[in-house]
Amino acid sequence: MGNWRLFFLAAIVLAAAPLGLPLFAMTLLTEALILGLLAMSLDLMVGYTRMISFGHAAAYGLGAYTCGFLALHTAMPLPFSLLAAALLAGVVAIGVGWVCTMATGISFSMLTLAFAQLLYALAFKWTSVTGASDGLAGIPRRAGPFGMTVLETRNGYYYLVLASMLGGFALCRSLVNSPFGAVLRGIRENEAKTLSLGYNTRLYKISVVTISFALGGLAGALYAPFAGFANTDLLFWLFSGQVLIMVIVGGQGTLVGPILGAAFFMLVEHVLSAYTDAWALFFGLIFIGFVMFALEGIWRILTSRLPARSRA
Amino acid sequence: MAKRFDASRRTIVKSAAAAALVPAMPRPAFSVEPIRIGMPAALTGPVAGVGAQMRRACEFWAKQVNAKGGLLGRPVELIISDTEGNPAIAVRKAQEMVERDGVRILTCIVVSNEALATVPRLAEWDTIFVSGDNGDGRLTGESLVPNFFRPNVSGPMGTRAVSLYLRDSPMKNFYGLGMDYAWGHNSMEVFEAECKRADKKFTGAVFSPMGTKDFSTYITRIRQSGADGVYLVLSGDDNAAFLSQAKQYRLGDKVQLLTELVDQMTINATGDATVGLIGGSRYPYTYDIPANKAFVAAWQAVYHTLPDMFEGDQYQSCIVLQAGIEKAGSTEAAKLRAALEGLEVDSIKGRVIMRACDHQGEQQGFVTKIVKREGMEHPVPEVIATYPANRITPPCNKMVYDD
Repeated sequence: MGNWRLFFLAAIVLAAAPLGLPLFAMTLLTEALILGLLAMSLDLMVGYTRMISFGHAAAYGLGAYTCGFLALHTAMPLPFSLLAAALLAGVVAIGVGWVCTMATGISFSMLTLAFAQLLYALAFKWTSVTGASDGLAGIPRRAGPFGMTVLETRNGYYYLVLASMLGGFALCRSLVNSPFGAVLRGIRENEAKTLSLGYNTRLYKISVVTISFALGGLAGALYAPFAGFANTDLLFWLFSGQVLIMVIVGGQGTLVGPILGAAFFMLVEHVLSAYTDAWALFFGLIFIGFVMFALEGIWRILTSRLPARSRA
Repeated sequence: MAKRFDASRRTIVKSAAAAALVPAMPRPAFSVEPIRIGMPAALTGPVAGVGAQMRRACEFWAKQVNAKGGLLGRPVELIISDTEGNPAIAVRKAQEMVERDGVRILTCIVVSNEALATVPRLAEWDTIFVSGDNGDGRLTGESLVPNFFRPNVSGPMGTRAVSLYLRDSPMKNFYGLGMDYAWGHNSMEVFEAECKRADKKFTGAVFSPMGTKDFSTYITRIRQSGADGVYLVLSGDDNAAFLSQAKQYRLGDKVQLLTELVDQMTINATGDATVGLIGGSRYPYTYDIPANKAFVAAWQAVYHTLPDMFEGDQYQSCIVLQAGIEKAGSTEAAKLRAALEGLEVDSIKGRVIMRACDHQGEQQGFVTKIVKREGMEHPVPEVIATYPANRITPPCNKMVYDD
């Protein structure tokens, strides 16, 4: 169980971060963890089941808008808004999964893209709910339940994000190590064979889309009160592409990798854009480099250097 | 011409000295803490051209101030970062400036929806944001926060200037085309209300997403509307794309093109396509007062071009900010806010009064027509009407006018 030891070690280090890091580093870390949760949720589909989704921004945006809307228009305590947003993303995903899994391969990818763009167009036009191109601004962090105000503070919110991320990781990890996960890997390696073994692969695929969307929705829901803001960019296909890049750069099919990939993506974008207006060009080069020379991703590069004992 | 040259000679020397001095002065030469001003500006994307103008204006101003020994004896340091015109990134960049760089003053946020996303955070950050171009009327209306100030002309004010001009025109029917975000919708609402008040007919409007490159379907709709005039609320690349296409379709022969904004950047990009266009201008460099002439000359000495609309408007905001800091004797948000409220400044566009009730700068409005001028490479905006501040500035916290 070396990996669980590493998990607890990482949890302790992250939990201690507010003690040592300056204000803005904490802001970046919080956002990195939120994006990490999103990338990890996509890894369930991409890395474990080989369902390449070009529309994962849909989950994030759906979560962000739902949580933002609830925070702005109701007095619902924050944790409940988060759950409601995750739940909605999950429920919507059942329909999305049902439609998209009618196709496989590139057609599946195109359907996910189409669905996300549909939501994007909807968000653009449904002004009364989404604020159209202006988005929802001034999203508060609602107190409660039971008058609890700790989540309104910066560090309180960080711990909420950290707990969600670690909880999400534990869930995904258990999932991929369960018989359910074995079937997912079966679908990844050879769907026809898995089907012939008697598994209803479509049902498994719809389930994994649902779980993935619910977790992605949770990430989006965490983002809205964190940034105080949600807009259509969160639903745009460019963002879907960025999440996919995070998964690939971090290392697909590892869960931890995409989290690192998200942090890496955010930091590089942040640092590069401070130095040059052409940051997207350099980021493109970095991405090409990863695809050509290090397709296994950051996490596998890191772990291949560790002694074999701790990899067990 | 001789007079203009005369006025500029001294400023040329001064500006050249400033330009030579500033880079040579190593930062540690100031033993005091600099005044850091955060600029989360859209430097890439469809409004990058506008962002570049605003950035240049801030840099020009900072150089001027630092050449004279800074503000309150402290040098001004600009912290600039690209937001890509994306509100989410704008908020993050602004937060970084506040939390990491110790910025307590923001300016140069380019897009209105970036500004709308940022203002709810100002209290938490204890930071003042002085707008340089943000047009959305809500910023000084329903979305007003105590730490926001707008010395620039707002969307409703620009629209109002054009509307007042149209009251006396024979045109009767109007149609609208606006950018599909905060500023576009807001200005179009004001234009519609103004049409009603002037007993003109407003037959409808279409909105194009930011970054639209092909306007042919919009042009068709404008043609089919049968209007005498079409009111445009476009800026940056979209404005240039629309105007060049409108020229190809000879839209100008059929309807009079009217616009809230027209800047030299767009004119240069589209050439003769803009000739005949009537539009509001937040800052026409052709405005004939001594303060503006001195500014234009100093600007030309440094950049060898004429100052453009957003350059002038942002520069005026910088001057207002400067006067506020000097009056407050501090950059603390509470003191600066008190100093800015009710502040009166005479600048390149004449007098600006930062009224206390909604933090909007009261100032006059300009209407320009694009004409070809002898000896100029590109067409230029010529001021055809100016309206006093009390007719241009809306009632406090409002976006519509009473008369």
